[in-house]
Amino acid sequence: MAVQKNKISMKNISKTFTTRTGDVSVLKDVSINVFENEFLVILGPGQCGKTVLMNILAGLEQPTGGEVVFADGTPKMGDLGIVFQKYYIYPWKNVMQNVELSQEVKGVDKKTRRESAQKYIDLVGLSGFEKSIPRELSGGMKQRVGIARAYATESDIMIMDEPFGALDAQTRYQMQEEILKIWEKKKRTVIFVTSNLEEAIYLGDRIILLGGSPTSVKAEYIPDMPRPRNYTSKEFLDLRNEIADNTDLAL
Amino acid sequence: MKKFSNLIYAVLPVLGVGALIGVWTILSLQEGTLIPTPVETWERFLVIMTDPISKATLPVHVLVSLKRVLSAFGFAIVLGIITGVLFGWYPRVKALLSPIFELLRPIPPIAWIPLLILMFGIGEVPKILLVFIGAFIPIVMNTQSGIESIDPMLIKAGQSFGCNHRQLLFHVALPASTPAILAGIKMALSSGWMCVVAAEMIAAKQGVGFLIVRGQEAGDTALIVSCMLVIGVVSFLLSAILTKLEGVLCPWQFKKTK
Repeated sequence: MAVQKNKISMKNISKTFTTRTGDVSVLKDVSINVFENEFLVILGPGQCGKTVLMNILAGLEQPTGGEVVFADGTPKMGDLGIVFQKYYIYPWKNVMQNVELSQEVKGVDKKTRRESAQKYIDLVGLSGFEKSIPRELSGGMKQRVGIARAYATESDIMIMDEPFGALDAQTRYQMQEEILKIWEKKKRTVIFVTSNLEEAIYLGDRIILLGGSPTSVKAEYIPDMPRPRNYTSKEFLDLRNEIADNTDLAL
Repeated sequence: MKKFSNLIYAVLPVLGVGALIGVWTILSLQEGTLIPTPVETWERFLVIMTDPISKATLPVHVLVSLKRVLSAFGFAIVLGIITGVLFGWYPRVKALLSPIFELLRPIPPIAWIPLLILMFGIGEVPKILLVFIGAFIPIVMNTQSGIESIDPMLIKAGQSFGCNHRQLLFHVALPASTPAILAGIKMALSSGWMCVVAAEMIAAKQGVGFLIVRGQEAGDTALIVSCMLVIGVVSFLLSAILTKLEGVLCPWQFKKTK
């Protein structure tokens, strides 16, 4: 593999929440390097603080310890592409208006931002649905809007927080294939969070396994398999068992 | 089965209203009662539709009342939404002004009537002001609570896409609270309509509230009851118009019927 350029360094990230019953430590000394244009999967059991880590990465929450260093300078709000688990696309905006929002609030003129948004709507396979409102779309299509909206920020970093967690199994498989196709076409640095082991192995260039309480990095795995990966191949299953043995049960 | 269930739901409301008219008829036929029979009420209604009282037929009285409501309503909507947004979106403005609002809010609008009449006489101004007070309050409260109860992740998502505080208001907070604001406007319309009738009952030369008092002075219970029913019907129609408007303004709230 070629020499990889470091894109983001999370250094000793800790997060403690103060509650009525005392301090709760959620993250402790989480250090993760993210390489440019890699598809990094962060795998951890439910409720382990993955979303907190992503919010810290996105600048939506502050860590109580440690820091996030971006190789190209700390991004401003709107400089990162984020895909949320429950979509959080705006029901009162149609597909086009949702996708173009990040450019619109930057003051990009209508023609330019529409052309750019159209490019990403086409990329995620929603051509023809520009004027549809979210309630007219299926779950998978809503998340396609979420992905197009994240891409439309023109950010080279995509943070995806369990983006397929709310989808049914069949749609989920489709979307996993789809997200790889999109990523192959438009390479970005992707940080993809999931609690689903198969999903992690199917997608990741690297897998960072989180665990423990408070949560820290447990192990790193590199699925050395060509894509598209086969869920039932021996290598896939071996790696699956290896990671499963090392995984905490969901809280 | 579907057809049968449709039929049931078409028949039940008729049955309910029918039962009301039945009970009404029985009560009105008791000896010594002042309650007019439904037939007397209907006949009285037909007479006032064409014969003027105080120089105006019933439709004119209704229009006079409606005009008072609607002219106050425009101001109440604009100022109510602005105030509600200020309270809901700018904590400092809320801290400064909402104590005043909380203090004035529990005063029943009709308690303002004596003061308003002393200050502004018995013309149009005190009536419009009263309707304004009655309509302004629910719009402010609903706008504010609509904005304060937005899913915080919708706000965070907007921030993550680069919206500043003002852009968040227009792209996220206001549209997200449109259903709550419309519910407030609906409440305001019925509250305003009640206020106008109350104001007209105390001092007016025209309007449905005036007609009711005229009925009281003349011992004309059929006139009173027919006006009361007209008030109910008008209020119902206004509310139906707003429900239609809701579908136009917040299409994401309703299933498309194809």
